Amino acid sequence: MTTTTVLDELRSMLVRVLDQYGLDDLEITRGTSFHDDLGLESIDLVTLGSLLVEHYGEHVNLAAYLAELDLDSVIALTVGDLADFVIARVG
Amino acid sequence: MAVLDVNGLRTHYQRMAARDPVGEPPIAVFVHGLGYDSLASFYLTLAAPVSEAGIDVLTYDLRAHGRTERPATGYTLKDFVGDLGALLDGLGVDRPVHLVGNSFGGTIAFSFAAAHPHRVRSIVSIEAEPATVPWADKMGRTLVNVVDEMGKEENLRWLAETFGNHHAKLARAAHGIIRSTSIVEEVPTGPLLSPEELMEIRCPVLSIVGSEGFQQDDLTAVQDALPNCRTVVIEGQNHSVLVERHRTVRELVLDWVAQHDGERRAA
Repeated sequence: MTTTTVLDELRSMLVRVLDQYGLDDLEITRGTSFHDDLGLESIDLVTLGSLLVEHYGEHVNLAAYLAELDLDSVIALTVGDLADFVIARVG
Repeated sequence: MAVLDVNGLRTHYQRMAARDPVGEPPIAVFVHGLGYDSLASFYLTLAAPVSEAGIDVLTYDLRAHGRTERPATGYTLKDFVGDLGALLDGLGVDRPVHLVGNSFGGTIAFSFAAAHPHRVRSIVSIEAEPATVPWADKMGRTLVNVVDEMGKEENLRWLAETFGNHHAKLARAAHGIIRSTSIVEEVPTGPLLSPEELMEIRCPVLSIVGSEGFQQDDLTAVQDALPNCRTVVIEGQNHSVLVERHRTVRELVLDWVAQHDGERRAA
């Protein structure tokens, strides 16, 4: 699975998560941060976690990944970080 | 998103099944705090590692919080206790649970245990205390202070400049709940528990407090009021024990459940 494919899939999930905020023309790159750039709340990460499981299966467990990070790292998390995690889990 | 109708409210919950369970696994139910909080505090910290340790995990957004519906009224502890019972019923959880409550979530846990002693195996209370007269006084003052201070734009600006936009956004969200509901008026009304009722909460309780947290004036007050409670003090820590010290809390919870579910199996 290529990084481009995963980034595209993450983009469509983020559009679903952010739909409630009326954002539909998202430009998302590896460097886009969930918190500062997209304004995701922690509860949005829970929704994203459910979408990841739905799409990739139980082994892409965002909660398990984030539980190993410090709060500062969770706040600084980027789309690239998440893409690398997905690729490592899915192969 | 997993949603269940609980007492007429669309309630968001998350479950994580125990990995490699031996027989019927223990179940831990995580209950979050008031205002800023949602099930995300537990989902992002304890939920995955606890389920990986062989414990079923359930957590949910309290009414008006996270992705659960926000009624205009209905915020007494009786409502919150009723929601927890209805959620367990709706999901078919009929074995006794380990309740892990953060802040007001712990207060709900104590009231739930007082009302339904047979449904609670143990309580882990994180920076929390039962609903007593002193609690109601403190809670009432805190909530009024929040209403006065958090609605002011200059305070939100100060929060954003001092702690970052994240805190200012959380404060705005909490203030939204306060403005649109009767939560401030109703929460301090309890129903409150008498000293005699507290002595009837016989399940084992672990009280985790920060030395600089909400109970810094009397770190063992909860232990002193209950018949079967021990206290762990996290030194140098303010009220944000769960989020800032989640690895420590995780170890404490895993040891606690192993110890107390072992007893149940032996019995």
